Amino acid sequence: MAGVTPVSERLVMLFSCYLDGALSPEELDEVVRALENDEDAIAEFRRMQESRTSVRLLPLLDVPVYLLPGGHLSEQLSAYLDGELATQELPIVTFHLGTCTDCRHEFAELDRSRTAVRALPGLESPEFLDVHREVKKAHRRGLHTAIIVASGAAAVALAFTIGPLSSGPEPTSISINDLQSRHTAIASVPPGGIAVQVTNSP
Amino acid sequence: MTAVRRTVLVGASTLLLVVSLVTPASGSELNDVLAEASYATYTASRLVVSVWGGQTQVSREFVERANGMEMVRRDAGWSMAGNGRAVSMGEEPKGVAFVTHQRGVDSTRYTVIERGKALHMSRPCQIVEVMEGGIVRASFIVDDRSGAILVAEIYDGSGDLFRRTTLSDFRAYRTYEAPTGGSGIPLEVVMPEAANSLPDSLAGYQLVGTFSAPGGSEQGFYADGLFSFSLFVLDGRTVVSGFEEPGLLITGTGVYDLVPTAQAVRLRWQDGSNHFVLVGNLPPDHLTDVLGELPTPEVRGMWARWWQRLFG
Repeated sequence: MAGVTPVSERLVMLFSCYLDGALSPEELDEVVRALENDEDAIAEFRRMQESRTSVRLLPLLDVPVYLLPGGHLSEQLSAYLDGELATQELPIVTFHLGTCTDCRHEFAELDRSRTAVRALPGLESPEFLDVHREVKKAHRRGLHTAIIVASGAAAVALAFTIGPLSSGPEPTSISINDLQSRHTAIASVPPGGIAVQVTNSP
Repeated sequence: MTAVRRTVLVGASTLLLVVSLVTPASGSELNDVLAEASYATYTASRLVVSVWGGQTQVSREFVERANGMEMVRRDAGWSMAGNGRAVSMGEEPKGVAFVTHQRGVDSTRYTVIERGKALHMSRPCQIVEVMEGGIVRASFIVDDRSGAILVAEIYDGSGDLFRRTTLSDFRAYRTYEAPTGGSGIPLEVVMPEAANSLPDSLAGYQLVGTFSAPGGSEQGFYADGLFSFSLFVLDGRTVVSGFEEPGLLITGTGVYDLVPTAQAVRLRWQDGSNHFVLVGNLPPDHLTDVLGELPTPEVRGMWARWWQRLFG
């Protein structure tokens, strides 16, 4: 009969359990006896042993979830918005977004959330969360004392001038490179042309 | 009589030849030359050398240009600009995009003269001179096939070379994928606004657009068809970083903080209530003329200088 081997199914199962280290003492005796006397059993055992070794040596396959049937892009969408997607993944994600309504909705929602977060005012972390701040303060304290003593009367005179001004809003800080970037952008609009590239999405 | 006729014939032929070789063209052709150059598709190494206040500024960069977008790689960083958008990768990647329609700029103060054909880097080229009145303001070597300006020389009002831009390792393409870097970088979108305090023209430069700028300031973009600059009018309390160790530009109207690059001049001054920052690629004599029509720098006394030193 095709597919029938001289080794019994029970013995094959015991060999498998032996390789897994899951045999009882009685079962172990049975396996040892078979491997001492039965050449077919020895051949079967070696075949099974080689198969297990080969399987263990196979590289781990990390199949991206979006390549699996019915897979979605949850993790890639965030990287896509951050511009951190690997080059080879970009066309796959773009294509998937073009075909998967669920992912398109999730993408739009994610984009909206990020825009809202970016629009929030900057928050200063509470002092008790900043463990380095106290250390820095300690370092600076000595220097500050020296400066204060040295400046003396000049500091008092300045305080009259600084006082009213320092209570106002913080001055805006702008980098000259940012201003040049703005000039470069507007100068790149061709005469009679329209600048319309306003979206982050390609 | 025969000798006189021969002389007249030879003279007339020479005159015709000269006229045919040196063809003046209208200012609109300057727009054509620049527009064709801006839509050329190529990759190249670009060397820009300019002289400001006796100091030479040099910039070497690799350029990819396609569909009006230009990606510039310099050292470890890169930036990209085109079609109203600019993205830079610095310590903090950022970008800006202008939503506007640029009005046509009257470039009639320039005349284009085609000086003839030449071979440059084994490529057939056209030599073009841009005249401003009686002086040569710019000289271009324009690649015939791509329209790219392979060499651009800009002269100041006294005819001295002021900036030279050279493309080498030049490769033109019929089709080239437009640079797309920075697609994930958040862009600040800027809309045009009505001019608040900016004049319609300054020393031959026309106000092309007005935009809001950071800190409630105002940006005016001026152009004359060949050069352009942006004038930023900032609140007096605004701090502009990058001018910590400036050079000085001294003109008849005052003393200005100067931080030039190879491609652009960057100036800052204060008139008492406002900060002004000017960024542009205009030549020194144009710059002097423009500054002459703007509020002049205040003369700072000892107290102001002390304050500046203490608090920036």
